[in-house]
Amino acid sequence: MKLSQHYTRTSVYATLTVLVIGAVIYYFAINYIGTQQLDRALQQQLTEAEEYIRSNDGNPQLYDLDRDHAVFVKTNRQLLLKRFFDTTYFNPKEQRSEAGRAVEDLVKQKDSNYKVVITVSRAGQKNLIELISIITLALLAGLLAVLFVINKYMLNGLWKPFQLTLNEIKQFNIADVDQFKGKPSKVDEFTELNEAIREMSLRVTHDYLNLKQFTENASHEMMTPLAVVTTKLDTLIQDETLSAEQLEQIADIYSSVNKSSRLNQSLLLLAKLENKLVTEEEPISLETVIETKILQFQELIEKKELTIRHTLYPRQIVASKYLVDILLNNLFSNATRHNVPGGSIIIDLNSDQLSIRNTGTANVLNRQQIFERFQKGKDSQGAGLGLTLVKNICQLYGYTIQYEYETGWHKFVVTF
Amino acid sequence: MKILVIEDEQGLRENITSYLNVDGNICESCSTLTTSLQKLSDYDYDCVLLDIGLPDGEGFGVLEYLSIKQKTEAVLIISARNSLDDKLKGLNIGADDYLTKPFHLAELKARLMAVYRRKAFNTSNKLVFNEISVDMQGRTVEINQTPIILTRKEYDMLLYFMANKGKVISKNAIAEHLWGDEMDMYDSFDFIYTHIKNLRRKILEVGGRDYLTSIYGMGYKFTD
Repeated sequence: MKLSQHYTRTSVYATLTVLVIGAVIYYFAINYIGTQQLDRALQQQLTEAEEYIRSNDGNPQLYDLDRDHAVFVKTNRQLLLKRFFDTTYFNPKEQRSEAGRAVEDLVKQKDSNYKVVITVSRAGQKNLIELISIITLALLAGLLAVLFVINKYMLNGLWKPFQLTLNEIKQFNIADVDQFKGKPSKVDEFTELNEAIREMSLRVTHDYLNLKQFTENASHEMMTPLAVVTTKLDTLIQDETLSAEQLEQIADIYSSVNKSSRLNQSLLLLAKLENKLVTEEEPISLETVIETKILQFQELIEKKELTIRHTLYPRQIVASKYLVDILLNNLFSNATRHNVPGGSIIIDLNSDQLSIRNTGTANVLNRQQIFERFQKGKDSQGAGLGLTLVKNICQLYGYTIQYEYETGWHKFVVTF
Repeated sequence: MKILVIEDEQGLRENITSYLNVDGNICESCSTLTTSLQKLSDYDYDCVLLDIGLPDGEGFGVLEYLSIKQKTEAVLIISARNSLDDKLKGLNIGADDYLTKPFHLAELKARLMAVYRRKAFNTSNKLVFNEISVDMQGRTVEINQTPIILTRKEYDMLLYFMANKGKVISKNAIAEHLWGDEMDMYDSFDFIYTHIKNLRRKILEVGGRDYLTSIYGMGYKFTD
């Protein structure tokens, strides 16, 4: 739920609660005051009636206070507590019953006692309460409407700089040259937020650049010592007195140095791909490149007695030749290396996708993990960067790479 | 052949110099841009081995100097940076080839010979060793004037051996020369054996001598 909705909801609930409680209190207060006034009026009439009876000794039945209902009933009771109560009032003019208020008391005239009941209409008071209620309800509705409008338009307007900042953060890419700018805002909080994000992005970009530089420098610096080791070994093996055992040791050193330098090159290439530093592009006929690649792998394919079948439809792409070569190399070498003796490779190329299928061990590979760095099979000789390179090259050109497994067939699909 | 090695890493410089200092080659070396420019202005060389990352500036300066002075030295760049930009830049301003560190000395020598030959004899480009004669342009090989048909890999291998005659070449160096990065070392060693066997057979068949010695577990040596 959006912040403005939260705010609207809370403010509406609060307003409603306060207004409803207020209205109830208001109602009772007005009712109470109204009743008090009626009771005072009744008391006055009662006093008048008593005075009239006492002074005139007349027949109380003849007394009619302003044609209001005053009823005198002779009674033998000596004691009657004066009380005010709600009752119905018959309006003689309009010939209908209305809510009324009455007072009951005992009036003494010489020897006879009368119970007097005086009733007045409460219609006026009712009307007043109704009117006040209507006004209150109208106020309530008006207030709610104003609240809605304010929240909807005013608040959304207030939050606009926040939305802009948020959009900019979403588009922020650490590898981009574009820095976070942040639209200027009149609101202090947003200005502060933008300032903080700007500082953070600068720091992050700086750290990232440092790290990138570090990776590149480290890999480069590694190349020279590796070159020294290689050339020293090349010189060392010229010695004719070396024993077979020593030569074997040197051969092992050779392969380790070779592994390190390949690993280093892969890491450098990954760093380059991630920083989008490979920019040279040219149109490439993929079908021709694949045919050449098949020829290049011919020796290996023959050695493992693999059959290779391919259906290649012409497909032109614009990419770096160097990267396409690495991509195909990795896919081909996986398809041959992880194949079974006497197995097959099937290559299909059409305008949408390139798929390379190969027979292999009957266990399905982990779809997510195989593309991660340094994830490799048990019998793999590489560093585990091959498929990571493949994935990153695909990403660079907006292709997708997928792995599928189907009863003994491992399939890699590049979708353009 | 007179060679100047410009390389700041001492270990590398010494090994390169001693490896190249055979067959009447004269190999000199220096470690900074300033001394290299001094040497290039004082003497003429056939080939220059140039490291791009020098302590007192980028090695591209040497290339600029050579082109300004219109000197004809063949230049082979050796760089730790495997960047296409650097490669293109180097080749554009007059370098003849570009080799990325780490490299095998055999590879360096073969490349050096290749750029030197390309510069030195533009036309008839024949490499002769005793009864073996290689026509670089037509990519044909004759033994005692009898042509033999070699596969591409066998041909490359023969040239590689001839460039490094008298030296032990490791199987790693041969594999890298023939297949580059595209193949796993372990796979390629078997293929090297096959190719060597075929090459040797083809030369022997037409009466050539066997110059190839196998060095146990390590590699091969092409020698008189």
